[in-house]
Amino acid sequence: MPGLTLFFSTLMADETRTIARGLQRRDPDLLDRLIEQYQYRLFRYLVYITGNKERAEDFFQETWIRVLERGHQYNGKSKFEAWLFAIARNLVIDWQRSKKAQSLDTLTDPEQEHPLQLANENEPSPLRQVLSHETEENVQASLQKIPAIYREVLVLRFQEELQIDEMAGVLSIPLSTVKSRLYRGLEALRGALQGGAG
Amino acid sequence: MKSNNIAHQRALQLIAQARVEGIPDTDRNWLRTHLEECDFCAEHARRTDRALRMLRTATISLPEGLASRTQFRVRLRAQELREREPRRRALWLACSLSWLFGVASAPYVWSLFQWLGQRTGVPKLVWEVGFGLWWSIPALFAVAVLLMESSRKGEQADWINQGS
Repeated sequence: MPGLTLFFSTLMADETRTIARGLQRRDPDLLDRLIEQYQYRLFRYLVYITGNKERAEDFFQETWIRVLERGHQYNGKSKFEAWLFAIARNLVIDWQRSKKAQSLDTLTDPEQEHPLQLANENEPSPLRQVLSHETEENVQASLQKIPAIYREVLVLRFQEELQIDEMAGVLSIPLSTVKSRLYRGLEALRGALQGGAG
Repeated sequence: MKSNNIAHQRALQLIAQARVEGIPDTDRNWLRTHLEECDFCAEHARRTDRALRMLRTATISLPEGLASRTQFRVRLRAQELREREPRRRALWLACSLSWLFGVASAPYVWSLFQWLGQRTGVPKLVWEVGFGLWWSIPALFAVAVLLMESSRKGEQADWINQGS
């Protein structure tokens, strides 16, 4: 078993090094492959943090442009997806700052009156419109009740299966904050699903 | 009664902790025993697992052609960067050469400014500031070129965004 773990970790390290080398060369074929490979995960993450499909689509494209431009900064020592999500998140935060001169955290703070992207509570939000086509409508509708700040950590931990230290890197926050957000998020998720499904 | 409450609280905390960051074997064994005996906490654990299962299996539909449109934009940008690379290199080379030349010629330029200052009768401070400004000319030139480039890039990005 430890041998198998070592084998997979070596394989992953090789893969990240290959990606780092390719990004330094701005290898277009590698970028094509990465876009294909990570399209679903990146898009899902962006939909969850922006709450809007069209905006998520714009950020999706901008993220890959940024990956091309800043590819030389990826050293291959961490998971590529953690670096990718950090870039995507920073773009969203920059956009939010340019609009309202605030960070994503303050915009999505559950203590605030208007969490991110909830424009009109009487109409279905863009996130709900996107997700309502899915078979698990109940789940998704419940998910949007969770403040984005918690939704984000839940997505990174339980959908993307990032480690807590990797999440701290993506979110640029201490480990203890990641954990406390996860606990609160888990509580909120359970409450939202109970309410939504009930 | 009080010890029961403490046990429930510990169990609920461990249920969350096990899913978020993992728990040691001793706690795991304690929790397992507690869940076998306590319906309330067992139901809480089941609901937590169900919520996480739903989150993990939740799906989102991808917009049609998202990957190919992105690949197209990325290739365009890559081409633009490749075309810009030699010009950028030439700019750096020119700046470096200019600085080197500036350092080498500094004593002569200083004498020239001094001579001009004496000839025109301007205060010493003025021609000394003039000498300092002379040194910043290559940097100002480089900044101007870079600003022109970035404004052109901004215009192009807007155009691409409108088209996509």
